[in-house]
Amino acid sequence: MDFKSFRKKSPWILHYNTGSCNGCDIEILACLSPKYDVERFGILNRGNPKQSDILLVTGPVTKRAKERLLRLYFEMPEPKVVVAVGACACSGGVFRHMYNVENGVDKVIPVDVYVPGCAARPEAIIDGLIKALEILKSKGKDLELPSWCKADVKPPVNRAKLLNSCLEEFHGCRRD
Amino acid sequence: MSYWTAFILTLFSPVIGGFIYGLERIVRARMQGRVGPPLLQPFYDFFKLMDKRSIIIHSFHAFMGVMYLIGTWFALFVLLSGGDLLIAIFFHVLSLAFLVVGGFSVRSPYSVIGAMRELLHMVAYEPLYVLSATALYLVTGTFQVSGILHSEHVPLIYLPLLFIAVLFSLPAILKKSPFDTAEAHQEIIGGPEIEYSGKFYEAVYTAKWIEYVYAFFFIFLFAGGNHILGALLIIFAFFFFNLLDNVTARVNFRQMVAFHWYILIPLAVTNLMLIALWRS
Repeated sequence: MDFKSFRKKSPWILHYNTGSCNGCDIEILACLSPKYDVERFGILNRGNPKQSDILLVTGPVTKRAKERLLRLYFEMPEPKVVVAVGACACSGGVFRHMYNVENGVDKVIPVDVYVPGCAARPEAIIDGLIKALEILKSKGKDLELPSWCKADVKPPVNRAKLLNSCLEEFHGCRRD
Repeated sequence: MSYWTAFILTLFSPVIGGFIYGLERIVRARMQGRVGPPLLQPFYDFFKLMDKRSIIIHSFHAFMGVMYLIGTWFALFVLLSGGDLLIAIFFHVLSLAFLVVGGFSVRSPYSVIGAMRELLHMVAYEPLYVLSATALYLVTGTFQVSGILHSEHVPLIYLPLLFIAVLFSLPAILKKSPFDTAEAHQEIIGGPEIEYSGKFYEAVYTAKWIEYVYAFFFIFLFAGGNHILGALLIIFAFFFFNLLDNVTARVNFRQMVAFHWYILIPLAVTNLMLIALWRS
């Protein structure tokens, strides 16, 4: 039986703030409120990476948040999509080229949908989510690594070890 | 009810529970002025989780998730096949114990806190269910569910205080606000179920639907042989606990246990004593 069509009908989201000003986060929460009500599409804000399908990231990814973002990304089971919400998450926004940020989510993890705006409007976020659902439907269940991570992936994957080898590459040394 | 009817009904109880859960999500949304998901939403979730990759912490943890499903299912089968009420209650406790052991077996702090709170849940409401089994025995003269369902008495008339107590502990057994400390989605992100994913989370998710059927069947027993009254009681209980879920905030675990032990259990015991006095 093909279950792919059900992916579109019940996407659960995980929302992570990587040092955003909270503007986009408030707009994401507004999507869940009675006025926009994304639960119409079966979308629930689970807050749990192990049970989520869509990772909503806001903020320009500060150096501290990078490791946590990577950790959350690896904890989510496939198939999954990543949506970058807001100007900061897309490109770094007003924080671009500052000493403490990574200039956008796509420098750390693969991003599928970019939602522009400062702050992104709820309508734009819902549009982005619907676009993400189409991508989610066509996605396979292979592990997607960030482009900078050169670890070799052979199933069965031990995610803890994979994360550690990726972090090692990121820090340039082991950091236990 | 014959053995085979009970077996088939038990087999399809996740479908019934799924519909109850879907209806609950709609009712909750409407109470908040939203449109809410479609009625079949829980089944969409079910089939989606079937397709997700499962990440296992260790095999024992995943096994405990599946055992939670099987334990709850078996407790419901004992109820539906007209078996002993006490055995059904003890099987339900056992199934929750599987969930608690699974919660304690991983290192995630949220999971461990959730498992501890789950134990407090059991401390809070299980005495009430044993007391109500005793009270049903006093009224109908049997612990057998089939006997209670065919008795000419209506236990609700004799046990109004106990029924109120069970009604107020319904949020505790179904883990809804104000007694959702074990699950607490905004606080400990699901408690003991946090580390399950994919097919194993599906088992836990389905077990929760079965618990709906289990809890509402318990309400049904309070109508005795009068099955129409039983159906009305279930509908009333459904809307009552949804209303309670929407209008109350989460209490902490001390308040939850204190509410059960200082208010609901004395209420139930008073009812039992009055019946005993009236009979003598």
